[in-house]
Amino acid sequence: MVAEPSESRARARPWMCAVAALLVLAPAAPSAAPSGGGRQVLTVAVSQSVDSLSPFLAKRLVSTTVHRLAYEYLTNYDPGDGRVIPGLATAWKSSPSKLTWTYTIRENSRWSDGRRATADDAAWTFNRMMSDEKAAAANGSFTANFREVTAPDPRTLVVELKKPQANMVALDIPIVPRHVWERIGDLSAFNNDRHFPIVGNGPFVITGFEVDQFIRLEPNKDFWRGAPAFDELLLKFYKDGDAAVAALRKGEVSFVQGLVPAQAAALRRTADIRVNDAPGRRFLALAVNPGARARNGRAFGTGHRALRDPAVRRALFHAVDRREIVEGLFQGHATEGAGYIPPRFGAYFWRPEPHQEIAHDPARAAALLDGAGYRRKGDGVRTGKNGEPLALRLLCHAADPYDAHIGRYLHEVWRELGVETRMECRDNVSDSWLKGDYDLAFDGWSVNPDPDFVLSIHTCAALPATPSGSGSTDNFICDRRFDELYARQIAEYDPVKRAEVVKRMQSRLYDTGLMNVLAYPNAVEAYRTDHIESITTMPEDGGSLWGQDGYWSWWSAKPADGHGRSGEAASATEVVVGIGALIAAAAVLTGLVALRRRATADDRE
Amino acid sequence: MASPRAHLLYTAGRLGGAAVSLLAVLVTGFFLFRIVPGDPVRALTRGTPTTAGQLDALRHQFGLDLPLWRQFTDYCAKALTGDLGVSYQFRAPVGELIAQKAPATLLLTGVAVVLYSAIGLWIGARAAWRHGGPGDRVHTGVALALWSVPSFWLGLLLITVFAVGAGPVPGLFPTGGMSTGTESGLAHAVDVTHHLVLPVVTLVAVGYAQTLLVMRSSLLDEMGGDYLTTARAKGLRDSAVRRRHAVPNALLPTVTMVFINLGHVAAGSILVETVFSWPGLGGLFYQALSVPDLPLVQGLFLVFAGAMIVMNLLADLLCPLLDPRVAR
Amino acid sequence: MTESALPRSPAPARRPGAAVRFWHSYRAHRAGLLGLGALTLIAAVALLAPLLADEDVRKVTGAPGDPLEPPSAAFWLGTDQFGRPLLGLLVWGARISLTVGLLAAGMSVAIGALVGIAAGHYGGWFATVLMRVTDWFLVMPTLVLAIVLATVMSRSVWTVIIAIGVTSWPTTARLVRAQTVAVESRPYIERAKALGGGHRHIMSRHVLPNVMPLVLAQTTLGISAAILTEATLAFLGLGDPMVVSWGGMLQEAREAGAVSSGHWWCLAPPGLAIAVVALAFTLCGRTIETVLDPRRGVDR
Repeated sequence: MVAEPSESRARARPWMCAVAALLVLAPAAPSAAPSGGGRQVLTVAVSQSVDSLSPFLAKRLVSTTVHRLAYEYLTNYDPGDGRVIPGLATAWKSSPSKLTWTYTIRENSRWSDGRRATADDAAWTFNRMMSDEKAAAANGSFTANFREVTAPDPRTLVVELKKPQANMVALDIPIVPRHVWERIGDLSAFNNDRHFPIVGNGPFVITGFEVDQFIRLEPNKDFWRGAPAFDELLLKFYKDGDAAVAALRKGEVSFVQGLVPAQAAALRRTADIRVNDAPGRRFLALAVNPGARARNGRAFGTGHRALRDPAVRRALFHAVDRREIVEGLFQGHATEGAGYIPPRFGAYFWRPEPHQEIAHDPARAAALLDGAGYRRKGDGVRTGKNGEPLALRLLCHAADPYDAHIGRYLHEVWRELGVETRMECRDNVSDSWLKGDYDLAFDGWSVNPDPDFVLSIHTCAALPATPSGSGSTDNFICDRRFDELYARQIAEYDPVKRAEVVKRMQSRLYDTGLMNVLAYPNAVEAYRTDHIESITTMPEDGGSLWGQDGYWSWWSAKPADGHGRSGEAASATEVVVGIGALIAAAAVLTGLVALRRRATADDRE
Repeated sequence: MASPRAHLLYTAGRLGGAAVSLLAVLVTGFFLFRIVPGDPVRALTRGTPTTAGQLDALRHQFGLDLPLWRQFTDYCAKALTGDLGVSYQFRAPVGELIAQKAPATLLLTGVAVVLYSAIGLWIGARAAWRHGGPGDRVHTGVALALWSVPSFWLGLLLITVFAVGAGPVPGLFPTGGMSTGTESGLAHAVDVTHHLVLPVVTLVAVGYAQTLLVMRSSLLDEMGGDYLTTARAKGLRDSAVRRRHAVPNALLPTVTMVFINLGHVAAGSILVETVFSWPGLGGLFYQALSVPDLPLVQGLFLVFAGAMIVMNLLADLLCPLLDPRVAR
Repeated sequence: MTESALPRSPAPARRPGAAVRFWHSYRAHRAGLLGLGALTLIAAVALLAPLLADEDVRKVTGAPGDPLEPPSAAFWLGTDQFGRPLLGLLVWGARISLTVGLLAAGMSVAIGALVGIAAGHYGGWFATVLMRVTDWFLVMPTLVLAIVLATVMSRSVWTVIIAIGVTSWPTTARLVRAQTVAVESRPYIERAKALGGGHRHIMSRHVLPNVMPLVLAQTTLGISAAILTEATLAFLGLGDPMVVSWGGMLQEAREAGAVSSGHWWCLAPPGLAIAVVALAFTLCGRTIETVLDPRRGVDR
């Protein structure tokens, strides 16, 4: 970029070298990282920043994924069919009253500092969450209904409930070692990221963490289910998804998730890379504002009145072609929307009967709107009897490209129908959402193996007590029949019967027309087959690797032949290039200094 | 020569002005971000099972249940003692978080500002000296063209060509981040330097034009000066006249600008940090704003604006040393 | 930006034939002519967009091509992730970029000129307060402030215009104030004041015409900065997702994985377009400055 000046001869001066060296050494913070040579490292690209490594605080997927790897939970989910299987607990039973649960704790689980993990650790963890609201920040919804938790002996954990609770076999709470954690006073200020290795009893041990750079995990050699095969699992941060894909191509990382269609298509044509396109655990829906109100009956918000008419809601969705969304916008990396719970959770999946289905039918949509009194003159916007135009706001997440894409599509199809839409895209939609200041909104949840939570957010009890209060409601839905069914499923401990009730709830939700699921986006991931020889997906048949309900993928991953041994060669070229860059920088600086020195020399002439 | 008293008054005035500006920033920071829509508590708990009781507990912990004036007085009282509060999303003191990320940003933008100031000064001086000639026109043209290029676009192109590799060009540099995370000691330093190359090249290419243009035009101003003719008449060589007499005098506006650019260091790299996944303050600000993580976003704002104020102050204080006429 | 912050001699007062003379001097600058030519061409493209490219080109459904096709005879610049022809999008994008650039720069310079003239004319504590506010805005990191504003308001083209307009005026205000003070110290203003000319009269009849050339140069330079900021905001995802702009096209290309897949044809054209327009405005602005202030006649 900079031409060497013809008149000045660059002369390196000793102090210049010192400056150059300083420039290089400045960032060299002392790091305990072992050198990469010869170790088999599984590098996973992640985009989310870690919110906290404390199991009592962490909410983000990247953090809870790490916790799954570092701590045992009472139960786990079978990689094959997702049914509940033993974790720290080997067996469990409930009393006839449904209010007492007794868990048997395994004897062969040890903390990484050598002590045995016992029922006492579990009881301490739960009790802390029940007595200290700061400890309830992340997972408090599981323990809110607990009356008392005790550990009569190291192998037995007893939980007394206030009311029946069906998700007692799916308590996704990391159990922490009491002897480490009881020393910590203020849990809201403790992030568990200072002293490594972090004591845990999962298949991996956290051995290093650098904010927004990496999390390093190493295998727990004594893990009761068997130690993982890789020497190290490195979660590396890439804020830009495309940079992560580029890194995968170059072999800098072994695994990338959250691919967009074009990336997946390009990677499919690349050698040594396997693209995994698996059914996702998320649904993407359009929520319709039913007219926000509080539990005390007070209405608030600015939801469009026309949307209180079920016929208008039906009409809007009759105009939408889900196949177009899946094929055109997701380019096949999604499944057409049907019931509330994604098909990945087969036991609970429900699809509408032909007589109730709101299928793609623009003519019917127009007829419904005509019938509801929204007439159209020419190509314009329909207006109601009171002259109010059918113009709707559509709340979208600015950070989600699919929201914007689908929003454009909806804008186009609804314009054909005579309905005007205006996209309101924000980084943070929660404000408009809480105030009920929306007509339609993009809505999506990741569904857990136990569906209780995603159902609970549509009950009347979830509404805020007053318009300014806080509730956990998703979309201000309050429906008596839905609530009755909800109360039945939470108290139903028989999985098959409970699934039946859950399906009826979805049917009811569908008929309200207030939550319309457009698609279930796939989990699109890719990994290098020259790094990873084999790895377990969940479900085992065509499932995903990232965001599993267990630790199966990283625990089961086997390194490919030759991976890790070529590491030295690669880093050697990098070193050479780096030194080259350094020399160039030093040359520029030296040139400048030489220039100044000459000026002084000239002066003496 | 300015009297010491005038100089003292000048210095005191500038210091006072900077202090007032800092206070203004402190206050603005608080209210500016209160109008950012969004309920931090809901934003943080979205996607995880949460009860209404948990929401209220969090709101209480963050002090969001207090009336606004109480929040403001608490914030001011704490900020004046250097406590910027605790981040909502990372649950760590804001000062600590900023201290964690600042070195990365300082390294990246510091190296870039030093390089582009040096390059700009050098080429600017040469262009002005031979002004109107082909070299001048080429240098000015190239600099203006690069100045018009969006930095994030240049960054993306550099990644496509030199990190991913295009055609015959192999992917020489890493695609992003600050280190591979597997090296230590000297290898780590080389590794970081290697990661530093593309972002620094981007910042330098887009940034050096400004220094170049200022240097060039202030040198052109100086070149009309009688003292240069005198110097030449004394028989000094052309290049000596330039280095000994013209350049030092033309440096004043350029130095001022270098300081202002240094002030931009904190905030200036948001884009390049985004493109290159650089773990610095820019990315932190972005994350903080989307919640909004009020203590963090306020703290970062204070740092960004504070850096500008301090650097402007330094420039103001240095100017009279370089050119005593200023303090009069 | 900072270059123009240097002291300058007062601009020539308004005289008959000034425009003609101005053009004669302007014509002598090759770079200025080049910039003007490029601008005329791009403005024509933007105005004629409906004739050059079908309006439907912006629709995400029923796009004519396959996703991410390389350039071909049918699609001269290739297609984007929805199979829309990039050339058509580029043509339509010119409208948004130019509109935002012009309006935002206009707004910024209008605020700057107003504040500058008022501060320069009235003086006293009023000017002190105004200039303190200006200085305060000057130390605000512009991009940070624009990001905050764009976050606060709903995503739309107007949001972007306002965000750029209200954050980038302080430089102009300072320049205009200096110029106003210089103009008001001239004898004929004293005379006008003595003859009973009110504040409004002095400001609009005497100060404004004299400040106008400076404002013109500032606007031209400001447009180039505004276009870059618009692209930046769109790239950070703060633009209106419903409109096609050059910055937005880059953002979408990046989202679609153009970088890692080596789809340079998605990336190159919008960035080049931004650079060309910004450069053209910069060249024009610099030439105007040079013409108005021949002492700096160095831009040939």
